[in-house]
Amino acid sequence: MHLLSAFLWLGSLGGCNRIEVAESWQIDRMRVLAVAAEPAEPQPGETVTFRSLIVSPDKPVDCSIWLACDTDGGYGCGLSGAAGATGSGTGDTGAAGASFVGIDPLTPLVWTVPEEFLAEQTEAERLEGRSALVTVLSVAECDGLLEGDIAEAEALLEGSPDEVEIAYKRLPVSLAPTPNHNPEVIGVRVDGVEVAPGVRVELEAAATYRVEPVLAEGAVETYAYRTEAGEDEQRVEEPYFLWYAQEGSYDQTGTLYPQTEVEYTTPAEPASPEQSIWVVVRDRRGGMGWLEVPIRFR
Amino acid sequence: MAGWLREKGLRAVLAVLAGLIGPVSPARAEEPPPEEPPPLIKNPQLLEFVQAPYPPEAQAAGLEGKVILELEIDVTGAVVSAKVSGPAGHGFDEAALAAAQQFVFAPAEDATGPVPVIIEFEYGFTLTAQPGAGEGAGGGEGAAEVAEAPVNLEGVLLEMGTRRLLEGITVRIEPAGSAPGSDGLDAVTDGEGRYAFRGVPSGEWTVRVRHPGFLEMTGAITIIEGQVTEAKLWLKNQAYGEAGVVGAYQREKVEVTQRTISMAEVRRIPGTFGDPIRVIQNLPGAARAPFGTGLLIIRGSNPEDSGVYVDGIRIPLIYHLGGYESVINPDLVEGVDYLPGGFGVQYGRSMGGAVDVTTKREFGERPHLTWSTDILDSGGMFTASLGKQGQHGVGIAARRSYIDLIIPAFTRNSGFVAKPRWYDYQLKYIYQGDAPYEFSAMVFGFEDVLIASTPDGFAQGTDQDTQGDLGTRYSTHRLVINYERPLTQTLSLRAIPSFGNDYGEFTLGDSWTATNSQNTFEVRLELPWEPSEHFRLVPGVDFLGGWAKFSVELPFNPELFAETDPFAEREPYGVSDTQPGWGPDTYLFAQIRPLADPDQLLITPGVRIGYVTVTEELSQTAIDPRMTVRWAIQDKSRLKGSVGLYSQPPQPFQAYRDDGEPVKLTPQYSLSSTIGFEQDVGQGFHGDIEFFYKHMYDLIVNNPELESLNDQFFVNEGVGRAYGMEVMLRQDPVGPGFGWISYTLSRSERRDHPGEDFYLFDYDQTHILTGVGGWRLPGDFEISAKAQYVTGNPTSTYASGVYDIDLDSYSAFSTSAYNGERLPPYWSVSARFDKLFTFKTWQLDLYLDLLNAIHGINPEFVIYNYDYTESDYVRGLPIIPSPGFEIKADF
Repeated sequence: MHLLSAFLWLGSLGGCNRIEVAESWQIDRMRVLAVAAEPAEPQPGETVTFRSLIVSPDKPVDCSIWLACDTDGGYGCGLSGAAGATGSGTGDTGAAGASFVGIDPLTPLVWTVPEEFLAEQTEAERLEGRSALVTVLSVAECDGLLEGDIAEAEALLEGSPDEVEIAYKRLPVSLAPTPNHNPEVIGVRVDGVEVAPGVRVELEAAATYRVEPVLAEGAVETYAYRTEAGEDEQRVEEPYFLWYAQEGSYDQTGTLYPQTEVEYTTPAEPASPEQSIWVVVRDRRGGMGWLEVPIRFR
Repeated sequence: MAGWLREKGLRAVLAVLAGLIGPVSPARAEEPPPEEPPPLIKNPQLLEFVQAPYPPEAQAAGLEGKVILELEIDVTGAVVSAKVSGPAGHGFDEAALAAAQQFVFAPAEDATGPVPVIIEFEYGFTLTAQPGAGEGAGGGEGAAEVAEAPVNLEGVLLEMGTRRLLEGITVRIEPAGSAPGSDGLDAVTDGEGRYAFRGVPSGEWTVRVRHPGFLEMTGAITIIEGQVTEAKLWLKNQAYGEAGVVGAYQREKVEVTQRTISMAEVRRIPGTFGDPIRVIQNLPGAARAPFGTGLLIIRGSNPEDSGVYVDGIRIPLIYHLGGYESVINPDLVEGVDYLPGGFGVQYGRSMGGAVDVTTKREFGERPHLTWSTDILDSGGMFTASLGKQGQHGVGIAARRSYIDLIIPAFTRNSGFVAKPRWYDYQLKYIYQGDAPYEFSAMVFGFEDVLIASTPDGFAQGTDQDTQGDLGTRYSTHRLVINYERPLTQTLSLRAIPSFGNDYGEFTLGDSWTATNSQNTFEVRLELPWEPSEHFRLVPGVDFLGGWAKFSVELPFNPELFAETDPFAEREPYGVSDTQPGWGPDTYLFAQIRPLADPDQLLITPGVRIGYVTVTEELSQTAIDPRMTVRWAIQDKSRLKGSVGLYSQPPQPFQAYRDDGEPVKLTPQYSLSSTIGFEQDVGQGFHGDIEFFYKHMYDLIVNNPELESLNDQFFVNEGVGRAYGMEVMLRQDPVGPGFGWISYTLSRSERRDHPGEDFYLFDYDQTHILTGVGGWRLPGDFEISAKAQYVTGNPTSTYASGVYDIDLDSYSAFSTSAYNGERLPPYWSVSARFDKLFTFKTWQLDLYLDLLNAIHGINPEFVIYNYDYTESDYVRGLPIIPSPGFEIKADF
């Protein structure tokens, strides 16, 4: 405890130098920012459709490879042995336990949860559920992949990390009476003025704005939870928001509901007059939503 | 300095010149004199002057004379031989020789202690002045008419700043306007610093006092016929703080590796803030702590493996937050024993090193106040001796930090603000009477609090359960009683009971709380038996008992142990328990001095038998045999070595198990061995080299098979090894300068579980080179500096990882083995400037401590960006100018 205290204090004194590393809100390379499943919390046998927020500062992302698997953990699904290389996911799994969901934009991103996914769980555990994993390999250049060449995908994985961004997400599967839904961001307020999705916002350079997300009605859900002692509770989601920008800076990386506002300071000399900022919301139960806000610097 | 009176042509009248004369040659007649005699830190001081009868022949003839004598003074202060080197004839030589052979001196001392010396001594005879000195020293037979004259000039001689009464110093008065060294009268101060002159003719006089170690003092005095003139004289010490420099550390050097630094050095070392306990961070064997936090990383051991003691009683921490100040007021500290290894069986329950802080055992006769202020805190201490003859010594000290008020001013624009604060206090009573026992009682304690907060509206991460202020608080309070008395001529008793509480607390927002409170009762009993100077046997008991109560409350899902699931719902979870623990360690050691000269060889075998009940279900016994040897193979050369077993019981939290099943843990062990060599080079130079090897086994590490709260958290599967060499070259502060160079070459490794590879200990530092030096300048200025080079700590490296979308975090890939890489080396230079102002009753020391004057890269940690594609160093502390002042006053 003493050691922790000492380090906290001394670290706050400066650690004592300015740390020169990129901030997480800076979109200076290809990033997978969010993945959402629909439905957000399926039942066994249900078919799920995926969508993603993959961004890049300079050009559109070429393609992404999607896998799903039944696993207790790890860092995602193995690519080797994935079944159905170019077809839509059927729930079949390969030798490594992964099933091929699809390649975006070549195939639809759908996956059917295996019927037996909760077969080994008790009744209570089925209500609580367990998670499958979905892995996304975002690829900057993927000509071969678009032709369905799985060997090309394996080669890409061994290449420069700059060309591939690997991300994974859990997909909760349950028989919960109040299954989760993805929260929806339907706009933002900039200095108190609401901006609808898709509308480009004009901002001054080197200026600071208060930005807060606007959630759809019912985005913050109430759900049932059975405690370890077997008592049923009604709990309310506590979503949080992460903010991203191509240039400029935020006063904090994330905000917690209901205090969702950040201060965004625009760059003094923007590299391009038209850019975007993004906000991603997570409901802590596997549900995600996001909004891209196009901006123009005056 | 020797013989300056002669050079000036002064006619000393029975002058006591012992203090004015330096060593001519060592007094070991059978040995040739060395090339350069070692410098003395204390000149011989004449304690008993013997008045020579005035030779009748010379008196009748009206002759005066001055005899130059060569006196050989042994280590007891006795004059063992005397001869006339500058005869005066007329019976003066014989009279002076006979008298001088009866003189008694306080012996001269060099850095090693009392030494024999030969001095020159002027013995003067005059018919015109009262011979011999002040009233207390008695008059001479010669000049009877003067001796019978009334005292008409008297007073007392004191040391400026300390009001110390100065004894045995010659006060000289000369007619005003006469050249220095012309005719005058002399008197020598007595044991109470008094001097007196009889029959001083009326008129203007110049009083002059010159004495080694003091600045010359002159002043004007007017003698009026029929009146007694009183004059209080003040003499300014040339080197305040060096008085009793070596004596600051009382304990006999019996440990193999016991490094002591004088208080005079301590005060001048940059970065220590005058704190003697911080000095150990500059000694061999002590690794550099991150950010200078003061963690005790000794000979490759974990910080928690080293024990810290105050007057023999263990306390959990020795430094306040950040490690810049120790928890005991520096002015109350008498000595600090730094024992990096090979220490005796008196110290137990530690595998690493030991630091034993001894507080003062005596307070001065006069009320004394110290006060110090720097950028971190302010505090003071007041001591006084009360009652008849001052048999009741009382000291009270306290200190409070204010860094928590300063930091926010510099972190206004950052989201995260840490506000540490602390206080400490000490109250000590010492019996200083004549009764045949020693008794003291001390109450002391400290509290440290750290609040780290973010402003309203700022999220502290994205976890809803980690919002709010982060706080830690820990405190220690102790009552320690020390009682020692002889039981017989050969047997004595030492008893140190203590009682106290240690408390620690961690909070995060409203949902996380962890507290631990330990009420501790400790008793140390020793019965030293010393039938001869060749043998000493010390049986002892070190009882430690008490009960610990801990509680943890946090939002938690036990399934997290089985699977990291960010969607797992949390519930309030709490654990609390009260566990008694006690252990009567017993020990026995002998100090055997088998050779005729008892100082030549010291063998200290011993054994410590530790029994401890960590919890009700876990009791353990450990037997630690140890032995040390110190052998003076020559007068100034010593060999030393040790081998021993050091055990350390599990901590109560390590012995906790949620399901109440017995925990299977044994003590941790370190088999430690050392061998070394010490050499006194002369001129106050010492050299010390030591090699060590430690084999650590049964180390308590995390249970790799932990799957649920019902499993045992820790297992005894770790092993380790640490080995190296330590070198220290040191110049004692015998003159205006002091300094040392310490170098440690070492390697420390660990292996947590069987079958795994060894990895470097987290604080393994191959090379630690430290140079410390100081120099006193004219005008009471001092400058000192410290330079340090240290190999960078081991670190692990990572590369870009996989993004966990649900947690918004990247799981990095290791690109090295654990601790497989190193940070760049650490290099720093610090300096300190002091200016001392001395007034009659008080002193003011203004100083500027300039920490990290050369601000190098000095990385402490590697910090990565969010996706591990970039990294930077968290660097050590920047340049920190720390001004401060210290006041010392006597009343």
